[in-house]
Amino acid sequence: MACTHNINGVGGTCGLNIQVSPTVGGLVSNPDATFIRSPFLGGSATINGTAVKVWGFNDGYSGLQTGPFPSPAIRVRQGQIVHTKIYSPSMPHTIHHHGIEPQQIFDGVGHTSYDILGFYTYQWRPHQAGTYIYHCHTNTVLHAEMGMYGALIVDPPKGQGWAADNTTQYNVERVWAVDDIDSSWHCLDWDAAVCSGDAGLNNFNPDLFCITGKGQAELNTDANLASPAVAIKCSRGQTVMLRYIVASYVPQRITFDSRLGDVIVIAEDGRVLPQQNNLGTGAVIVGTSAERFDIILRPNTAGTKIPVTIEFLNYRCVSGTPSVIGSIKGYVNVS
Amino acid sequence: MKRRDFLKFGATATTATLVSGSVGLLSFSQRASASTISIVLNAVAGDITMVDGSSVRVLTFSQNNAPSFPGPTILAQEGDSVQVTLNNSLNTGVVFALGGTNIRQYVGASSSVTTTFAVPRAGTYLYYDDQNNGVNRVLGLHGALVVMPSGYSNQSFAGAPTFMRQYKWLIGSVDTNWSNQIRTNGASYVSSLNPSSYQPRYFTLNGKSYPHTDDDSKTAPYGLYGQAALLRLLNGGGMINSPHFHGNHVEILSVNRQNYASNRKKKDIVPMFPLDTRDVLLPFIQPPDAYPPITTQAQEFPMHCHSEMSQTAGGGQYPNGLHVFMHLGVAPPSEPTL
Repeated sequence: MACTHNINGVGGTCGLNIQVSPTVGGLVSNPDATFIRSPFLGGSATINGTAVKVWGFNDGYSGLQTGPFPSPAIRVRQGQIVHTKIYSPSMPHTIHHHGIEPQQIFDGVGHTSYDILGFYTYQWRPHQAGTYIYHCHTNTVLHAEMGMYGALIVDPPKGQGWAADNTTQYNVERVWAVDDIDSSWHCLDWDAAVCSGDAGLNNFNPDLFCITGKGQAELNTDANLASPAVAIKCSRGQTVMLRYIVASYVPQRITFDSRLGDVIVIAEDGRVLPQQNNLGTGAVIVGTSAERFDIILRPNTAGTKIPVTIEFLNYRCVSGTPSVIGSIKGYVNVS
Repeated sequence: MKRRDFLKFGATATTATLVSGSVGLLSFSQRASASTISIVLNAVAGDITMVDGSSVRVLTFSQNNAPSFPGPTILAQEGDSVQVTLNNSLNTGVVFALGGTNIRQYVGASSSVTTTFAVPRAGTYLYYDDQNNGVNRVLGLHGALVVMPSGYSNQSFAGAPTFMRQYKWLIGSVDTNWSNQIRTNGASYVSSLNPSSYQPRYFTLNGKSYPHTDDDSKTAPYGLYGQAALLRLLNGGGMINSPHFHGNHVEILSVNRQNYASNRKKKDIVPMFPLDTRDVLLPFIQPPDAYPPITTQAQEFPMHCHSEMSQTAGGGQYPNGLHVFMHLGVAPPSEPTL
């Protein structure tokens, strides 16, 4: 690792609302589902063959300073009362369930609740199935970039295997959290420029790109598309649910190979569209940071490594015409 | 509201006027007949203060000689004409162009031009200087024109859901290096600035960064539950933004003036490329995933850009950028104007 972090103290608290294990009322004693997430700041991921420092959340109460990238998914069913418990023993963090709209005190925004040191429980009850994301909302600019995010999936009443509309059944499911990484940011401290100073957090120049933690090199060398996390493997006639999360800070232009057939968007941002949006074959979707698309594919043409090509666009766009600064291809095998 | 209803109590000003300081529950009351809205826009250079105290040079349309970042909002109703007197005190030509239309007026350096145009159909429009591949616009030469539909005071188009209040959210961004170049070399240096060299360092909503956004009645939405607000988003800056709403999804009513009478998406992210406009309805409902449910308790949620570089000022100081709080279940301290 080319850099080390101060992980044993808080250098500055300007503008933060740090509380040690604050307690709030209104928590039920018997939630329908409980998740425990413990932040770590000493992880490493290999993206496109390059080791890069990552932060994230471990599943369960953990003092480990290493862990997975991205963080483990949270999956619940519509209508459940859910507890997400954070255990953050060394540095303040939060969990914001992006797209979920709970009580303010459980929204995980430090400025309107707490930046948590120690323990805290977020209580929420999702009323609408769909694809969401959870992430740390403390010094968010840096913490989300460092990898402190994971997928959040709310299944409809019929359960897993059914799309957010509770009507469309799928056979194969993948979550693609498509991210951009500026490795020069990944040596910064937890509280970089929170108080003052210039950490360059306005200046983002991604040099690594990944789909659910895998770079192009890792995707390409997975000859048989064995990676269960990313590659889509299906048979003709099957229905694929692609939960697409724009986890990057810069916009993405997503182009589906025409062999994948019609691209049908069922939901966006955790809300079922009023009518299914069939974009046809060879469709292009443009997404900006933190949008989610619930996409249905029903490929009828057999093929290996059929690409979904993702181009990343420069966020600086004075002329109004965006420029491409990177790309990655995800693959689909249709047998 | 039907036209015959508002005639019973609506304001009936018929003289040529700039409607920028209207008051009341709604920030607009229909006039009984069309009017000519007259406005003076002075193209001026000047310094404004960023949230961290630093001073930056901007070029703006202003109603006086002080810089106005962004320019004043022009509020009209369908059938109106707008007469713009452009006084250009800069040593370079400027343009008043209206997004999505063919309306465009050039005025040379140190010159004045008066132009009159019939307003386009109801919607949210960015007026801006379109020269130098966006450089002039991004430096501050932009503002909003809002056209209300004929016969409606609380809908953005016939068939749209009703709103209680409306807000203009005009996104901007500032590159201090560009500002310094203009300060050193004068306004005519706009043609020497390379658009691809842009590196924004401050990020604004209606010209302000958080926390100043939250102190501004024109910017921070307030309302009791059920009092929906219309938010008119425009991007005059040089960055592709991704506004994210906590607490309530918003309903997408219009995308670059394409109106959705039905089949409206609900989003927690509203993509905003430069020059884009979006009209969205913030429903002011109780946060729907709360347990136990919220009834009347006040709730405060942020709207912030999720392209998180925009959450900074001067390279850090999260979240002093494109960020504001929405105050649900709270009556506004003062009613907003556009």
